[in-house]
Amino acid sequence: MRRLPVYLLLDTSGSMTGEPIEAVKNGVQVMISSLRQNPQAIETAFISIITFDSTAKQIVPLTDLASFQMADIKATGTTNLGEGLKLVATCIDNEVAKTTAEQKGDWKPLVFIMTDGIPTDDWQSGLEEFKKRKTAFTVACAAGTAADSNLLKQITENVVSLDTADSQSIAKFFTWVSASIGVTSTKVEDGGKEVTGLGELPPPPSELNIVT
Amino acid sequence: MKDAKEYVAALFKSHNLTIPANRKALLEKFMQDEQNIATINLLIHNGDELMNKWKLENSIADIMQKPARVLNATVGKSYETKFDFEKMGWKDITAFEFEGLQETGLYYDEKTAQIMGVPTISGDIKIKFRFKVKGQPDEAPFNEKIITLIINPDPKSLWKNLESDKADPYWKEDNVTVFAPIADRHILVSSKRGRSHANVGSFREDDFAFADLEGGWSIVVVADGAGSAKISRKGSAMACNGIVDYFREKSSVESMVEFDDLLQQYKAQTGEDTQKKMAHFVYNNLGKAVFKVHKQLEEFATKEGITLKDLSTTLIFTLLKKYDIGYALLSFGVGDCPMAFLNKDVSQVTLLNWIDVGEFGGGTRFVTMPEIFSSEKFATRFGFKLTDDFSYLMMMSDGIYDPKFVVEAALPDIKKWKEFLEDLGGKNEDKARVELSVDNKDIVEQFSTWMDFWSIGNHDDRTLAIVF
Repeated sequence: MRRLPVYLLLDTSGSMTGEPIEAVKNGVQVMISSLRQNPQAIETAFISIITFDSTAKQIVPLTDLASFQMADIKATGTTNLGEGLKLVATCIDNEVAKTTAEQKGDWKPLVFIMTDGIPTDDWQSGLEEFKKRKTAFTVACAAGTAADSNLLKQITENVVSLDTADSQSIAKFFTWVSASIGVTSTKVEDGGKEVTGLGELPPPPSELNIVT
Repeated sequence: MKDAKEYVAALFKSHNLTIPANRKALLEKFMQDEQNIATINLLIHNGDELMNKWKLENSIADIMQKPARVLNATVGKSYETKFDFEKMGWKDITAFEFEGLQETGLYYDEKTAQIMGVPTISGDIKIKFRFKVKGQPDEAPFNEKIITLIINPDPKSLWKNLESDKADPYWKEDNVTVFAPIADRHILVSSKRGRSHANVGSFREDDFAFADLEGGWSIVVVADGAGSAKISRKGSAMACNGIVDYFREKSSVESMVEFDDLLQQYKAQTGEDTQKKMAHFVYNNLGKAVFKVHKQLEEFATKEGITLKDLSTTLIFTLLKKYDIGYALLSFGVGDCPMAFLNKDVSQVTLLNWIDVGEFGGGTRFVTMPEIFSSEKFATRFGFKLTDDFSYLMMMSDGIYDPKFVVEAALPDIKKWKEFLEDLGGKNEDKARVELSVDNKDIVEQFSTWMDFWSIGNHDDRTLAIVF
C-alpha cells in the first residue's frame, strides 16, 4: 500500500493567539472530517502536524485519517520557521518509505505551510535541509499582512496569501487544502500519477490570493 | 474546647486582634459563654462545609478538565477501548451513565472497563459522560462531560458504483468475464472496471482479446489504457483487436508458416544460427503487428482530431502453438503488465516479458509512444519460449499485478505464483474460490466474484487471463 504523506507545518507563535489559532485548530478538524468521507483519501492519505514557535514540534506523527486525532495547540513564543522546515525534512526521512526492489515506497509527500509572520530564526539553513527532500509539491500560505509572501516564494513557487488571518479566511484555506489532498489521493490511486504543481489542484477560493 | 480555643485564636490573629496578658481571664470567660460556644461551633461547621464543597468542586473540575481520549472507531468493525476511570485519574466516581453511546451501537462494559461493540453510525459523535462523585448528595444532578468519539464510515460504503454512459461513442462494457476453449486448452479471462472509475461513473480502460488462428496458432492479448489519457478505453480496445486482426490476415498466416521449419531445424540442430533466425522471425512478425497497431492508432487519432497520447495504452500478447515437442510461445510487451507461464508441476515460473516501471509511479511505456520503436530496448520486448508443457499461462494488467505481486522483484519468485494460485483457490479474505477446472460449470461466476477482491489503495481496472 503506497501512502500519500501530508505534512502540515503550522505557525503557533504568539501572534497567532486568539482567533487565528482557534481557526487553525478548527480548520484541521473540519479538514480531517471531510477527508474521511473521501474513499480514496481515507485509504491513502496520512497526515502529520508539525508546529513551530520558539521551537518546532511534531505534535501528530504521520497518521492515517481513520485513526487521526488532533492534538491541542497553543500560540506562544517566536517564529522559528527554519527549525520547522528542518523538522519536516527529518520527519520525511524517518516516516516516508522509499521504493526499493522489495517494496513499493510511499508517494512523494505534500507539504502545506501556514505562517502569519516573519521568521525569527536562521530560516535559510532550515530551507536548505528541506530542499534536499523530494516533495510532490509544497504550498505556503501567508496569513495576514504581517507575513512576507516574497520570503515564502523562496521556499516554494506555490504561495497563496490571505488578506487577514481571521477565522473565515483560515477556514477557507483549510477547505482548499482538504480539496487538494482529495484530488491528489484520487490521482495517485486512479492514474498512478503524482500531482506536481498548483495548476493541477482545485482552484483556490477567492479569499486565497495566488502570489505570482 | 481546645479546638474552639485554637480556632478563636487563629481567627483573631488573622484579623490582627491581639489579646494582652491582662485580658486572658476575660477571654477565658468569653469562651465559657454558651451563646459564644454555639457561634464558634457554627463557624467551625460552616468552614468545614465550605471546604468540603470546594474539594467536591475541585474533584469534579479535575474530571471535567482531564482530556478523555478514546480511539477512533469504524462502522462495522468490532471495537474495544479501555475507559478506566482509575487509570485516567478520575477519582471518587460514585455513579455514572453514558448518553448517546448506545445510539452508535457501542456500550460500556463495567467489568472490563471498556467501551465496546460494533459501531453502526459514523461521525464526530459527542457522547455525554454523566457522573457523580463522592460527597455529592443522592439528589444532586449529574455532572456532564462531553467526550468526542470519532467513528469513521466503512471505507467500502464510500465507493459509489455509477454506471458508465452507454451513449458514449467509445463505451465498453464495465465488466466482462469469459470462459472459452483456446488451442488445445481453455482460457478464463475477466476484465473489470476499477472502483475508482465506478465511483465517478467513468469507463473501464483495460481490454483483452483472444482467438484461435489459422495455422494452429492461438493468441491472447491484454491492454491497459492509461488513466491519464482521455480516450484510452478506445486505445486499449483498438490495440487488442488490431493485434488479433493482424494475425488473421492471409499474409500473416502465410508468414507464420515459416516458423514451423525454423522450429524443426532448431529441434534437429541442423541449419546455421537457428536461434538467431528465430529471434529474427519473432522480431519481424510480431514487430510488424505492433507497428501496424501503432499506425492504426495514429490514423484514428488524426481522423478524430485527438492526439495519439489521448489513446495511450500498454500492450502485451502471446502467440502459442502446440508442436509435437511442446508449446511455442511468442510474445511482446510494452508497459507494466506481466505475463508468465508456470511449468507442469508448478515448480518453475518463466516470465515472458520485462515490465516498464518507474521509481515513482507513472514510469510506464505505451504502444502509442513513437519512441519505443526507435529505442535500443525495442528488440528486448520480444520473447520466444519453447516448453514441453505448461500448467498455466497468465497475463494480467497492473490492476492485478499491483495488489497481488506488488513489486517487480516478486515476479520471478515461484513462491509468489504459488500463493497467487492459492489465492485463486480460496485463500483470501472473502474466501472467494475459483476452481480452475474445465468441468466447473460455475467457473465464470466464481472468477467474476474473485476479481472483486478488496485491496486497500488498489482500485484500478483489473484484467486477468489464465490459459490452462
